[in-house]
Amino acid sequence: MCFFKKAMRTAIMNINWIEFFATAVRLATPLVFAALAAAINSKAGMFNMGIEGMMLCSALGAVIFAQMGGVWVGLLGAVLVGLLSGMIISFASLTGKTDLYLTCIAFNLAATGGTVFIMYLLTGEKSTTSGAMRAYEIPQVSIPFLKDIPFIGRVLFQQSLLTYLAAFAVFAVWFLLKKTRIGLRLRSVGENPKAAESVGISVTKIGYIAFAISGILCGFAGAFMSMSWVTFFMKNMVNGRGYIGLSAMNMASANPVGAALASLFFGFSDAAATTLKTQSKFPTEFLEMIPYVATILSIVVINLIRIVKLRRVEKGSAVTAK
Amino acid sequence: MNKTQKIEVGMELLRILAGLAIAYATALIILFSISQEPVKIIQLFVAGPFSSARRIGSLVNLAIPFTICGLAMCFMYAVNKFNLVVEGIFMISACMVTWAALSVAPANLPAGVMVPLMYVVAIATGTLVAFIPAILDRKFKANVVVVSLMLNSIIGFFCTWILRYKIKDSSISFIGSKEIPESAQMASIFGKFRIQSGLVVALLCLVVVSVLFYKTPFGWKMRMVGANPNFSKAVGLSVVSVSFGAQLLGGAVAGVAGATEMMGNYTRFQWVAPTGHGFDGLLVAVLARRNPVLVPIAALFLAYIRIGADVVNTTGDIPTEFVTVVQGIIILLVAAESFMAGTKNRIIFKEAEKDLKAKEAAKAIA
Repeated sequence: MCFFKKAMRTAIMNINWIEFFATAVRLATPLVFAALAAAINSKAGMFNMGIEGMMLCSALGAVIFAQMGGVWVGLLGAVLVGLLSGMIISFASLTGKTDLYLTCIAFNLAATGGTVFIMYLLTGEKSTTSGAMRAYEIPQVSIPFLKDIPFIGRVLFQQSLLTYLAAFAVFAVWFLLKKTRIGLRLRSVGENPKAAESVGISVTKIGYIAFAISGILCGFAGAFMSMSWVTFFMKNMVNGRGYIGLSAMNMASANPVGAALASLFFGFSDAAATTLKTQSKFPTEFLEMIPYVATILSIVVINLIRIVKLRRVEKGSAVTAK
Repeated sequence: MNKTQKIEVGMELLRILAGLAIAYATALIILFSISQEPVKIIQLFVAGPFSSARRIGSLVNLAIPFTICGLAMCFMYAVNKFNLVVEGIFMISACMVTWAALSVAPANLPAGVMVPLMYVVAIATGTLVAFIPAILDRKFKANVVVVSLMLNSIIGFFCTWILRYKIKDSSISFIGSKEIPESAQMASIFGKFRIQSGLVVALLCLVVVSVLFYKTPFGWKMRMVGANPNFSKAVGLSVVSVSFGAQLLGGAVAGVAGATEMMGNYTRFQWVAPTGHGFDGLLVAVLARRNPVLVPIAALFLAYIRIGADVVNTTGDIPTEFVTVVQGIIILLVAAESFMAGTKNRIIFKEAEKDLKAKEAAKAIA
């Protein structure tokens, strides 16, 4: 125990806190996109576990398309691949009437192997494209004046372009869901598909639209993974981030702003794992568990709060009924 | 069984076969289009698994963990809880068995005591680990898929830690545990086929699980809850406890799978990441339409395409990963309700019409 405390203390003292916070914001970026994608699906009444696979496909798509015409073509390619994978899942689930969970598990399985397969065909490598393909990076943008604010400037205003886009996407998704006609339809399908159908909204069509939007968001998330987090594609590089984004959405009951904040929290747990790994002598295996343990614990805590609240409401209504 | 049911069963079988055929054809097309010498590669993929006694043996050996994991996933799938922790249990059970076997090695227990003892360890581990997502689902309504996937990652790191700090053999150049005592190694049977004696365990599991599914009240409850949760609730079944119990049982079976693979196929524990057997189990359970009796057939099929891919991989220029794409297609086609549903409905409708006409004709005569 004494050794543990000592190791932790030296580890914490050695951390560069500004860098730590900046890393956390950076690592939260793909989670924000994933959580927003999940939120759109969730508002339409679908629990989309395929985000993991969609991000993985997009990450590979980004690298491949970038070879053809630079970083922006890569970004576009990632979005297209994300869109395509969203269409595959929605086709199987909505038109093919496969259980959505099963569809997504099958898709993720196929994505894990399929990306390696395609990577092997193109480069002859099975683990990473780093040696065989040229690296492209989405530029970092420092916002003038704001970047000079101490601490906040480094943490918030010297980030990848996609990080700003993620912040904007939070607003865009909120606007889409709350202020547009399509958002209203999406939510009504999620609330009660039969009622929505009865007033002439096509549930299937709305489902496809929801998957298209979440596919585009996953495309950005994937592009961030392979063109900003690192600048190559790596076997299974998403590594559960899709599921973590999904949990972030779940914690905030699909509210875009809440989902983004929850993603930020998971970004911190991810950054804690990455930073501590380089700093302390503590077995790395336990540090690598941090993001996953944090996810499970936060799901439990949030659901516990919800259940307690619900019970209180039930009790309250019982009292007023008397 | 009335006429409609008969048609439904027949069509179900036809549908699965059609799904498999399409997926298999896709695999062949992929091979054909990317290979330098397509004819040779396809020959290898199709006939390779049967080309030697050794390969037939390894086909059966591969089908053994697939069968047991498939049986484990049948429990989860039967109550519609996609608890994917089977993946993690397979790994942690093998790890715990190794650790336990090494710990009791100084006592020099005979194999007759050692092997059952290891199975007790495995079953306890499996049930305990499956308990985590199941109880979180029951008490806190935590999504079982997300929790079990996160748990798998945690288990992966945990086992690596045990391997590196508790059971590592520092005299070998690769990361691996010390060799487990001979009394915990299950010998292979059938001479040159080299089939592991886990075959007996797999068959035993098959019998026990099938009986549990179809001859006991709990099995009936499980199938009821899976088929129609609302109806089960209405007739007074506790849906929550039935699915909770099913997940624990599934965990126990998954524990057996890990222990069997470890003791039958390896002498050292050396996995540093989950092995994918849980997802293979899911595929097998989906293919078998959550019917344990059909699980071995599905497992053999999966083992056949896997070995085929391996043969292609060693002799040709195709990576084994293309099989996972084929697996995804199989799951989608077999699980898709509307795949060939039109044909089925048409046949049932036609039969019903024929019946009606026959009845009317009989009435007219009367």
